[in-house]
Amino acid sequence: MAETYPINIWINEERYEKLQQAGLAHMAKEKMAGLKVLAVPTNEEQKDKILKLFPMAKFDSATTKSIELLPREVKDKIFDLIIQKKTVDVIDDFIKTVEEQK
Amino acid sequence: MENIGHGGKEIVERILPRDEAIKKVQELKAKGAKELEVRRQIATEIIDIAYGFFCPLEGFMTKADVESVCKNMRLTDGTVWSIPIVFDVSDEEAEGIKENDEILLTYTGNPLAVFEVSEIFTYDKQEMAQSVYGTTEDKHPGVKRTYAYKDKFLGGKITLLNPPKINPVFEPFFIPPLEMRKRFKEKGWKRIVAHQTRNVPHTGHEWLMKGAWFQTYAELPIDKPYVGVLVNAIIGEKRLGDYIDEAILLAHDMLRKAGYFGEHNHMTSITFWDMRYAGPREAIFHAALRTNLGLTHHMYGRDHAGVGTYYGPYDAHNLLMSVQDDLRITPTFSMNWLYCPHCGEVTYEGLCNHKDEWQKYSGTLIRSIIIDGVKPPRLIMRPEVFDVVMECAEKYGFGSPFVTEEYLQKRTPVFTIEPLE
Repeated sequence: MAETYPINIWINEERYEKLQQAGLAHMAKEKMAGLKVLAVPTNEEQKDKILKLFPMAKFDSATTKSIELLPREVKDKIFDLIIQKKTVDVIDDFIKTVEEQK
Repeated sequence: MENIGHGGKEIVERILPRDEAIKKVQELKAKGAKELEVRRQIATEIIDIAYGFFCPLEGFMTKADVESVCKNMRLTDGTVWSIPIVFDVSDEEAEGIKENDEILLTYTGNPLAVFEVSEIFTYDKQEMAQSVYGTTEDKHPGVKRTYAYKDKFLGGKITLLNPPKINPVFEPFFIPPLEMRKRFKEKGWKRIVAHQTRNVPHTGHEWLMKGAWFQTYAELPIDKPYVGVLVNAIIGEKRLGDYIDEAILLAHDMLRKAGYFGEHNHMTSITFWDMRYAGPREAIFHAALRTNLGLTHHMYGRDHAGVGTYYGPYDAHNLLMSVQDDLRITPTFSMNWLYCPHCGEVTYEGLCNHKDEWQKYSGTLIRSIIIDGVKPPRLIMRPEVFDVVMECAEKYGFGSPFVTEEYLQKRTPVFTIEPLE
């Protein structure tokens, strides 16, 4: 299976409430001694597109192999798509929306 | 000769007393000496040279030293040195300057230093980049900085005329080499290990320091505290999204104030330096810098001062080992600290064997957690540290703990050079 690189959406109270309301609370995994996170997978091509669309983001190649430092509002949009589609496989849709808005 | 610095040379501050400095400025102006306004990076390097942070350098490098540093990683006198310290000028700025001239350097319009120019030269910037950074790609921030240098270089000695006024927050942490050595004596520390940082500490950093403290303590008796950790924060150019300087410094200091360390084993300080991200070569440079500050040991973690994938995780360790006999500081090498849910604690890569369960975290990951509006658990970031970071956001960061355009434009500068009257 091809390697995937997650975007970690850390679950604050507001996000957790939305997950619960959508019946998706089980999708959040526990990590780091008590944090909840939604790991949104991206493949190589999606990762590169995300990093190009959001130059402030960083791929942490050394430690976590994840895409970090996306602005909160960007993650909010990805999160809303997850709630809407009830799956974490939303990156193609997300990229399409951003590209259309450009 | 008790204050011996890097390369076995005595640390001598190159600072004129105020009265003499005022006379010197008058004398330079009277004879129509050239005046040059310097940018922040050069001003900080002048300060570093003058206070002995860069011992044995007494000024900016001449061509022979630059060449020797690039090609052999040594100064022409044989001292190990890894990064060229150069004073770049445009053709226009160089106009009228002759070798052996004294020029008056100013910063923000006020006198800063006198520069005895011994050489005016050019140097192939690509060659410099390849030697120092191992690449000529301008996406490497050190290479980009090298290419941005103006086309000529001036070499020669520097004497500080006007010491900087270090502004609040930073003032107690600016402790130059000779003063630092006095403080270490007062503490009674026999060994001091450096923790290089440009980050707010998470517990991985805290354990790196604690691990280095254990390594450094080694066979010393335990009747009194003989070993200290010196957090030496690098204060220099900021990039959007970095933690603000105030948060880095006060958060590290909070680790001691909140009792995760104590006065008996921990201090926080700053050094002015624009990170070059030269990985292994920057590690050597840090060894020289911290030797001059009076440290006996230096902690090096994975990919020290690296960027992207330019350097292997332990390239810095290997390069340090290759010149160990010529350094006056002992490196302590460290692997990562990480969270293991099985152990239920932060543990060390070299100890824990629950490899499939490991949860690694980095400064970048913690920044993402904070950006998402989430408070990290105390095992990952100490609550006192988190709170002081958020307090700094309000007090100094215009609402953000991270560097924004507004912070860059409106922040209080770390230091100012005041009129010399």
